[in-house]
Amino acid sequence: MDIEINYRPSQTAAKIKLNQAEGFYAEGGSMIAMSGGVDIETSTHQKNKGGLFSGIKRMLAGENFFLNQYKAKSGGGEVWLAPTLPGDMCHFQLEGQKVVVQSGSFVMCDQNVSLNVGWQGFKNAFSGEGLFWLNLEGKGDVVFNSFGYIYEIDVTDEYIVDSGHIVAFEETLDFKISKAGSSWVHSILGGEGLVCRFQGRGKLWCQSHNSSSFGHTLGPKLRPRPA
Amino acid sequence: METEIKGHPSFSHIHMKLGPGESIIAESGAMASMDVGIDLRSKMNGGFFKGLMIKFFGKESFFLSKFTNKSERPASIVFTQSVPGDIYEHKLESKKDELYIQPGAFLCRTKGVKVKLRWAGLKSWLGGEGLFRMKISGKGTCWISCFGSILKRQITGDHLIDTGHLMAYPPNMKIKLQLAGGIFSSLFGGEGFVMRIEGEGEVLIQSRSIDGMAGWLNPLL
Repeated sequence: MDIEINYRPSQTAAKIKLNQAEGFYAEGGSMIAMSGGVDIETSTHQKNKGGLFSGIKRMLAGENFFLNQYKAKSGGGEVWLAPTLPGDMCHFQLEGQKVVVQSGSFVMCDQNVSLNVGWQGFKNAFSGEGLFWLNLEGKGDVVFNSFGYIYEIDVTDEYIVDSGHIVAFEETLDFKISKAGSSWVHSILGGEGLVCRFQGRGKLWCQSHNSSSFGHTLGPKLRPRPA
Repeated sequence: METEIKGHPSFSHIHMKLGPGESIIAESGAMASMDVGIDLRSKMNGGFFKGLMIKFFGKESFFLSKFTNKSERPASIVFTQSVPGDIYEHKLESKKDELYIQPGAFLCRTKGVKVKLRWAGLKSWLGGEGLFRMKISGKGTCWISCFGSILKRQITGDHLIDTGHLMAYPPNMKIKLQLAGGIFSSLFGGEGFVMRIEGEGEVLIQSRSIDGMAGWLNPLL
């Protein structure tokens, strides 16, 4: 499998080249173009894993109920994927470790990577992201997307991310909901409010922009829908 | 202090490295992520009444956040804005670098830079740029956020700019409101009123306007 991320950072599209018998799972609706020689199979779950319930769980995590499996026939093929919003995509190679992806940011994973809905505890409700996140585990390629530019941070000790800016992180990291700086009062008055304080050692991906704060800027200028 | 603007032009954001003891002042909510060595203090934007004025007329936050590196080694911090667009870095060394900027455009600044509210007049208000404008002066660096990309134009004489697109101009330049062309082309050409800017200096224009986008979106909702 050969993955190329094109047109970064605002109009990103991922080109995925498949050799014979290679395949991947992608979120329903993210395919924009593909060559012949690739089969699509739509299901609510990964092969031999779970059933209807995995689809429901994935919906809770802000993803599509259906998961498409793309598989190349004898000659190989090519698939282009893109998310709905303008924004960035990031390609990452899993070497057996586990990555937690914020709900809505999952684009695709290799067919050998297992995809589960995870529960990080109620702290997720304060993280500015969804309540349920996706856990990706195994060996193979993974692609995720965001609204905004994706930057990578190697956390060696501790790092603070404002709520709404997390894309994904390695499971060796853990976070708790905390304040920015040493005082609660200053953190709230300073407009940062709750932040996520990451601890441990591992990779962390953040998004530069945040679709909900763009919505807060644009929203007041929009007219209410006529009843 | 080291700074780098990444994600040009549509998702620009600032990666900043603060040395021990260094600090930066930003509008509230501008921080995306940072090292734990940095502490945050909030303060009113120039006192209570000035803060209120700046909030309502300057479309800026009532509180400002001051980020200081309290640790012994360099610490990094990332600032961003809410709309997709570019960020402009403006260095102020003397009085000739002073700049008027649009309400809402201020993102962050170093300690020596002052941001003050100034009356812009009815002409500016009718032109969709607000009754007030912000004046930046002092010594240091200031970052300005825009919706869309930034066009930098050196102007001598005069120049026409569509309403909602003028981001920043030096104080020695004058702005006027006028029709884009004759009555017919102004009404039907989609330009309506435009700003005429006169004098000599460098002007910043943003390629998109948030009101323009909202105007396009409204009939679709």
